[in-house]
Amino acid sequence: MRKEDTVKLISAEGFEFVVDKRAAMVSQTIRNMLTSPGSFAETQLGEVTFPEISTTILEKICQYFHWSLQYASGKESEFHIEPELTLELMMAANYLHT
Amino acid sequence: MSNPQKKKNFQIEAFKHKVVVDPKYADKTWKILEHAIHEIYNHNASGLSFEELYRNAYNMVLHKFGEKLYTGLVSTMTAHLKEISKSIEDAQGGLFLEELNRKWNDHNKALQMIRDILMYMDRTFIPSTRKTPVHELGLILWRDNVIYSSKIRSRLLDTLLELVLRERTGEVINRGLMRNIIKMLMDLGTSVYQEEFEQQFLEVSAEFYKGESQKFIECSDCGDYLKKAERRLNEEMDRVTHYLDAKSEAKITNVVEKEMIANHMPTLVHMENSGLVKMLLDDKYEDLGRMYSLFRRVPNGLLTIREVMTSHIREIGKQLVTDPERLKDPVEFVQRLLDEKDKYDSIINLAFNNDKTFQNALNSSFEYFINLNTRSPEFISLFVDDKLRKGLKGVSEEDVEVILDKVMMLFRYLQEKDVFEKYYKQHLAKRLLSGKTVSDDAERSLIVKLKTECGYQFTSKLEGMFTDMKTSQDTMQGFYASHPELGEGPTLTVQVLTTGSWPTQPSVTCNLPAEMSALCEKFRAYYLGTHTGRRLSWQTNMGTADIKATFGKGQKHELNVSTYQMCVLMLFNNSDRLSYKEIEQATEIPASDLKRCLQSLALVKGKNVLRKEPMSKDIGEDDAFFVNDKFASKFYKVKIGTVVAQKESEPEKQETRQRVEEDRKPQIEAAIVRIMKSRRVLDHNNIITEVTKQLQSRFLANPTEIKKRIESLIERDFLERDNVDRKLYRYLA
Repeated sequence: MRKEDTVKLISAEGFEFVVDKRAAMVSQTIRNMLTSPGSFAETQLGEVTFPEISTTILEKICQYFHWSLQYASGKESEFHIEPELTLELMMAANYLHT
Repeated sequence: MSNPQKKKNFQIEAFKHKVVVDPKYADKTWKILEHAIHEIYNHNASGLSFEELYRNAYNMVLHKFGEKLYTGLVSTMTAHLKEISKSIEDAQGGLFLEELNRKWNDHNKALQMIRDILMYMDRTFIPSTRKTPVHELGLILWRDNVIYSSKIRSRLLDTLLELVLRERTGEVINRGLMRNIIKMLMDLGTSVYQEEFEQQFLEVSAEFYKGESQKFIECSDCGDYLKKAERRLNEEMDRVTHYLDAKSEAKITNVVEKEMIANHMPTLVHMENSGLVKMLLDDKYEDLGRMYSLFRRVPNGLLTIREVMTSHIREIGKQLVTDPERLKDPVEFVQRLLDEKDKYDSIINLAFNNDKTFQNALNSSFEYFINLNTRSPEFISLFVDDKLRKGLKGVSEEDVEVILDKVMMLFRYLQEKDVFEKYYKQHLAKRLLSGKTVSDDAERSLIVKLKTECGYQFTSKLEGMFTDMKTSQDTMQGFYASHPELGEGPTLTVQVLTTGSWPTQPSVTCNLPAEMSALCEKFRAYYLGTHTGRRLSWQTNMGTADIKATFGKGQKHELNVSTYQMCVLMLFNNSDRLSYKEIEQATEIPASDLKRCLQSLALVKGKNVLRKEPMSKDIGEDDAFFVNDKFASKFYKVKIGTVVAQKESEPEKQETRQRVEEDRKPQIEAAIVRIMKSRRVLDHNNIITEVTKQLQSRFLANPTEIKKRIESLIERDFLERDNVDRKLYRYLA
């Protein structure tokens, strides 16, 4: 996959997740970050730092992105969420507008 | 994210953010965002982190500082727009629009970025507080601070209108810039576009075209004016597609139509030497087409054209049918009518889009003026006669059909179709009996056309005439088969005509030469022998004869003459000189016929087999006739002009007229009886309308005549007047 087609998501702890751009754009917020007409730092560098999202949650989010893409393309399966993550995940979802 | 509150026993506590909420938190965060907005407006956004700004805005909203964020945004943006507005105001002359356009683009881009980073507010805070979303807010603020700025507002309008005016006068302007500015006004809302531009644009345009049309109309002719109007109209439509709102098209074309066409319609149509009438006269299809398509756009436009055209056709037609010169040659007369019809057909076809209403107008005009001349039915029949006698020779079958169809079209316009029938019958009889008909197919095809047009009744007698011709052939064959000794000597061909089917002719028998009358007697004996209970009477006025003649120097010719002429010529077998009186006595031909027949024998150059003394142009009672020994002709066969169907003389016309009137009586009576039989009771006026309607396909019944017929029917106990209401009639079964 070419570099332009991916985006790097960085968690609060500094872990880096390289994700398919299409997947990342499941989040409306990330989509805006990457497509906004002005040249924001994120658009230029192709990476986004989330100082308020922990690695565990961000990982789960990335999984969700891919799952969502597949789900949208007609493949039905369950997305498992551990109960202890639920609250934080909901917060992040609100933030990311997913 | 909705928060369903169904589970009362389970309380969801507000999420405690790890940032400790210090009192200055809101101000600090807002400062960061405010700074970012400044940077964005200054094209300095590349260093900013979207995520950071978004997160800050997100947190502000989350911590209930939405209101602060929103008002902050409004005031910051307003401040920027005020600055922008000032820089636009300062732009010099032509740069004004460009600066405006540039700043508008900047603002749009900035607005989009700001909206993106404040999206969380757009999503949650704004809907719940019913505030204007960021993007819309940006447009409103632009409108209020820039477009409505006192120094920009009127200047913008004036600049735009001036550019349009310059383009109208032929200059090239920056259409792209125009389009962008107009697009901006439309983006700000339809009402802004209308108030800030469209209304004044339309007013100014109306003023402009009012002046221009006045100028044009004074110095150009109708065709040129229409060209100019069309060009202006196209220009305006072009302008709309290039840089105005599509909805303006109808409005601006309306203005042009009103100012350039509607207001000048009568002047244009009646313009001397170039108006509608002139165009019609000169077959200016292009100009007419232009006039049609332009006038169609305005109310009553087509009506105006139609009225002028109708009155023009009526005028021309009236002149045509009442011009005594024209009446001299019926064939030419009808040909002129057909030409006129062709002319207008092609005008309507080529220039008026085959408009049905125009066709109707044309038809009604023709109907109007053809019936102005009572001789039209006769002339049309004569035209057909001419065509079927000679005109169709060497013409292909399709062309024959075309000509006949055209004749039928004229026929349709006739109100007195029975008069036509009368003449047609006479002419057909002459054609059939003289064997002059060119094409049997053409004759029959015309009869079929008449039949489809007017029904079986109309043509039954005509068809009877054809049947008689056919039977006569068989009879003649039978006659000669039973008289084999007749092979030598003169040959007789008899056509047995059924009385009733053929036009009644006053049967004046002339004295036939002895050889012929013997032959006729034999035929009479034969015919009455095969058909009992019939009567034969000779119609010598309709026959023809072929005779062989030898002249003074031995030149031999075969002469094709009428029966009357034959009788006259045969007399010269026994004498060289005969006076008019002697001829009249010997033949007993009616005077008018005899004169005509002598005229064609003695006075037609190249065919003068007789010589007359004295040499004058007319036949006098005291003239004497000789065989013209010096007669010479290039041809062996000489056809002496028989009395061809001509238009009738005045007394003949009166006579035909009278016969027609006579024939109408039973038809009117039959119609009255038919109507009364089904209605039982009807008042006078209704009878008149019904009868007129029923007879319309044949002739236009005269109300006084109908009244007379009703009275006659009452006398004969078919009808009676109602005892109470004298206007009512009852049918007596």
